[in-house]
Amino acid sequence: MRKRCRPHRRDGQAEPPMEREHRGGARRPGRLGWRGRAGALGARRRRQLFVWNPGRVAGGDLPGHSSLLRRSRGGKVRPLRVLPSLSLPRVPSREPPGICHVKFPFGAGKFPVRGLCKETMTTDEAAKGEGEVQAVALAERGEDITPARDRGVLKIIKRPGSEDESPMIGDKVYVHYKGKLANGKKFDSSRDRNEPFVFSLGKGQVIKAWDIGVATMKKGEICYLLCKPEYAYGSAGSAPKIPSNATLFFEVELLDFKGEDLFEDGGIIRRIKRKGEGYSNPNEGATVEIHLEGFCGGTRFDCKDVKFVVGEGEDHDIPIGIDKALEKMQRGEHCVLYLGPRYGFGETGKAKYGIQANAELVYEVTLKSFEKAKESWEMDTKEKLEQAAIVKQKGTMYFKEGKYLQAVIQYGKIVSWLEMEYGLSEKESKASDSFLLAAFLNLAMCYLKLREYAKAVECCDKALGLDQDNEKGLYRRGEARLLMNEFELAKCDFQRVLEVNPQNKAAKSQISVCQKKTKEHNERDRRIYANMFAKFAERDAKEAASKTRVKTAAEKPACEKGPETPGAKDEEAEGHV
Amino acid sequence: MPEEQSQTIMAVDELQAIVQRCQILEEADFKGEDFNLFQVAGQKCLEDGYAAQLLEVIQNEKNKVIIKNMGWNLISPLVRCIFMYKQEDDKREHCLKILDQLAELCNPKELFLSLLEQIEQTSGEQVCQTVMLLLQPLQTVLLKLQNKKAYSVGLSLAMIMNQLTPLPVPYTKQQIEEDKLGLCQCCNAVVDFAKPFVNELVKNMEKSSEYNDMELKEELLKFCMKSLKYPLLTAQLEQLEGIEEHPFRHFATEIVDILWDIKELIPLVFLRHKDRSPHWENQEFAEMEQKNSADSLACLSYLIFVQHLGIACFPVVFSPSYLLQCNMTHIEVLLKRTEESMLSKGLDLFESCLLRMEDDSLLHQYLEFRTFINVPQDLVKVMTLCPIEHLRKKSLNILQLFIDKFDAEGKYTLFRCLLKTSNHAGVEGYIIKNIKDQIHSSLTKACDNVWFTGHHLISLLDLVLMLPEGAETDLLQHSDRIMASLNLLRYLVIKDCESDNQTGVWTTLPKIERNFLKPLHVGLNMSKAHYEAEIKNKKENRKEAHSSNTVCSVTVGGEKMPAMTTEMQLQVLHSALFTFDLIESVLARVEELIEVKIKAVMDEHS
Repeated sequence: MRKRCRPHRRDGQAEPPMEREHRGGARRPGRLGWRGRAGALGARRRRQLFVWNPGRVAGGDLPGHSSLLRRSRGGKVRPLRVLPSLSLPRVPSREPPGICHVKFPFGAGKFPVRGLCKETMTTDEAAKGEGEVQAVALAERGEDITPARDRGVLKIIKRPGSEDESPMIGDKVYVHYKGKLANGKKFDSSRDRNEPFVFSLGKGQVIKAWDIGVATMKKGEICYLLCKPEYAYGSAGSAPKIPSNATLFFEVELLDFKGEDLFEDGGIIRRIKRKGEGYSNPNEGATVEIHLEGFCGGTRFDCKDVKFVVGEGEDHDIPIGIDKALEKMQRGEHCVLYLGPRYGFGETGKAKYGIQANAELVYEVTLKSFEKAKESWEMDTKEKLEQAAIVKQKGTMYFKEGKYLQAVIQYGKIVSWLEMEYGLSEKESKASDSFLLAAFLNLAMCYLKLREYAKAVECCDKALGLDQDNEKGLYRRGEARLLMNEFELAKCDFQRVLEVNPQNKAAKSQISVCQKKTKEHNERDRRIYANMFAKFAERDAKEAASKTRVKTAAEKPACEKGPETPGAKDEEAEGHV
Repeated sequence: MPEEQSQTIMAVDELQAIVQRCQILEEADFKGEDFNLFQVAGQKCLEDGYAAQLLEVIQNEKNKVIIKNMGWNLISPLVRCIFMYKQEDDKREHCLKILDQLAELCNPKELFLSLLEQIEQTSGEQVCQTVMLLLQPLQTVLLKLQNKKAYSVGLSLAMIMNQLTPLPVPYTKQQIEEDKLGLCQCCNAVVDFAKPFVNELVKNMEKSSEYNDMELKEELLKFCMKSLKYPLLTAQLEQLEGIEEHPFRHFATEIVDILWDIKELIPLVFLRHKDRSPHWENQEFAEMEQKNSADSLACLSYLIFVQHLGIACFPVVFSPSYLLQCNMTHIEVLLKRTEESMLSKGLDLFESCLLRMEDDSLLHQYLEFRTFINVPQDLVKVMTLCPIEHLRKKSLNILQLFIDKFDAEGKYTLFRCLLKTSNHAGVEGYIIKNIKDQIHSSLTKACDNVWFTGHHLISLLDLVLMLPEGAETDLLQHSDRIMASLNLLRYLVIKDCESDNQTGVWTTLPKIERNFLKPLHVGLNMSKAHYEAEIKNKKENRKEAHSSNTVCSVTVGGEKMPAMTTEMQLQVLHSALFTFDLIESVLARVEELIEVKIKAVMDEHS
């Protein structure tokens, strides 16, 4: 049932050590340590070294160069001083990326001179736009923030952050930025779009320089980044704006960041402390080995190493949120998870740990290893049927304990394995149908409990697709529809129940509930449906539904007090097989 | 003649009569009967060619209230009349004026419905004409609508697009220039129609984001998505020489601009926006919606990354690997199609994403995304099964690009996957050639490459240096693969000395002999004997064969191929024999090389 997590490597060889985080940097030969040698002299020597070092590969980024020439001709006062230094990149194709042009990206005509002449620069500094000066300074004084220390990304802080906290891997970060090429041409700016740029940090979504650079920033900080092509778009460039081998300059402001909202409902927030390997995640049913520490209100209530099956964490007193989050983690990942009550221990709390109802939890989890569960297409029919019996039992166990989310996972497995299975023998097909019917009926019950009525109806529909006169299917659909304020449809369902089993008293009383409700809403409905705009009608009805939902929810317990209690019904469903 | 005239005059008189009667009535006192009489009389005027008189009645200030309430009744006959008259006919002009007047004067809600009704009722060749005729008044009316404006705009756009969708999209340059049904023109007219609403939305968005505007935004978004799927997905969007303003490119630009203006462009391209659209209660609808939007989004990505529409305002900080990853889903959608327009878009998008990357820079971990394994397999299907030659060629080039971009482990994994899944000797041969190239660069470059030497390589060679069905393998069918394998083996034994054994080939040689060389010998002998016997047989029976008794016939693309003559059959048999000879000669050479090297080593030792 289990198998190794990397489906594509079928030879079963050992995993290679992972050491490719920053490939671009790592591949480059180690360079001389320039750090700390600031100042004009250092810069000049550096420049010469770059020019004469034949081992350096640098494509001719000539636009910057030629535009610089043009500009300096335009400048009246200092062309003479400029030209000697311009003779530096005499071997045009060997021009070092980054150093020479980047000195001048932001200047207009007279600008180039300043970068080359330390004395004038200090006096000009005050007069010039800050950005220009910083751009020059970057190449000279910028801090090398690359892990490889190869000066691929240089940084200067323009305005320190307001808070001391930096974003973590996987965080959603909000920045404003503008980017320029070495020739001073602006190629991009979030301010032109009038919208902050948002991305997930440290996930390779952005150029390497950014993943490195933004991770060093504090909230509110503004900094300049100077990025070598190896940390940006390299020799390939990025059509149509970034030419080959372009050094990029950015001004970045870190506006805000927040943990990753895993299900976009605010229920699970993840902040990654250490990134995992690769991109594959445990799936539902995978066996995971984790270390976890649970906190509530600042006190630690749980700390253990544990091995379990994703979706069955409850067996080890692990809340459903951890199961869900694990499906988005990678091997080796270490993260902090903030769980809302729905994903924590919910309304019941957890007496064992002294956790109250509706408590917010914080977990620190390390995913040490996992083995993926087989995907549906990897199992044969026999295996699926065997497993179906097991998970059905598990689901029912969870249901009885009131752990509906966990139960849904187990019943859901049956559906995913068997719903699309073809080519069964007659006997298998019978067994499969009966598993499916039970699964759909039980799922419907779970969804009713979870107040997800649309899903409940869907499950009933599928159950009725297998057995059109199924009493429980009809009854539960009726219940769900009633709770969705679809009184007429609900009434039909309950009437069908009575056709199948005239003795069903619960259905009888439900019918009268429906009639009462229908009457209440009749007037309103007539007005709505008279309207030719059917869509508006639907919308109005929904509004109405949400208003009355509170009411019906209050009545719900009453509905459940039928002679056939839901729990009993569920056990009956189990008896199907 | 006089009789006819009196009849017309009667029609105008009738109209005058009803109008005069209603002039004195209050708005609220109009009866159903009045509406009927007005419509009948008006229609008669139009049918009898008295549009000018009708126009006068409509323009009369005194009739304002009547027209406001009853005017919409005239739309249907009016549209019919307009299509009846020729382009330069005065009467047509009058009719057009009437239409304008009605748009100005009528009750917007009634007129809106009646205009939509007209659009809904047209079909076939008249669709574009009708839509273009009614767009202007429809716009005028919508701008006047007070309630449910967003919904009405959405309804109009959806109705129009639905009517257009069955029309064939012009594809070749000639078809585009001819624009027989007027689709090109019509699409651009529809965008112009939508523009004021976009502007309105943008203006409101600057102020605040109210619920009502969200609605308009949704509607415009739906329109854009729909347009991306049809006509843009099926349209030819490359620049065409000699057409200055390519109508579909223009249309595409406008659509992208709208998406940009309503601030949906970047979210659409980068955020997997689940649950954005209103929850469909019905699963089928949700799936349909998702499938539709997959097509639309694929087209949008193509427009942005290949045609560079809207790229000017696009963020330039995304990493190339991430762009590829985002686009893989779209590429997969497009490569699964069989239409030339979509396949070529998929290939172009794939190519453009790969060209952004540096060689060897794509981490093997990306292969953990299912799309990264699926897409190359789809690509192989295109290159082996697609009937369009230039797409086949292009897909082969792209496969090579894709291979080049991966790091060594990625290449290794990809080769394994393709060898196992391609089921095509030509592709397998191509992969084997690639493996050879990788071994070559591992051996010649200083960099240590564990994946194409030593034990990793050996396990890959196990897949390569063997016959799929042992000696019974159809050598002819697998000849490409076998030749490539032999070439690889030849390369290995020449390049790698037994003393070095960097590749490990010498260690695994006994296995290679057992699984590959020996069965190949047997297979060759059997095949040759079989084909030679067949040739002999054919030659002997040459005369009898003339009285042809064809056992079976072959059809290609639905066309029946002519039965093969004996001569042709002989030719085929001979060329098969030639292939066997070729394999045999390379095989002999390889065995010779092995023998020499082993002998050399043995000599050294002794």
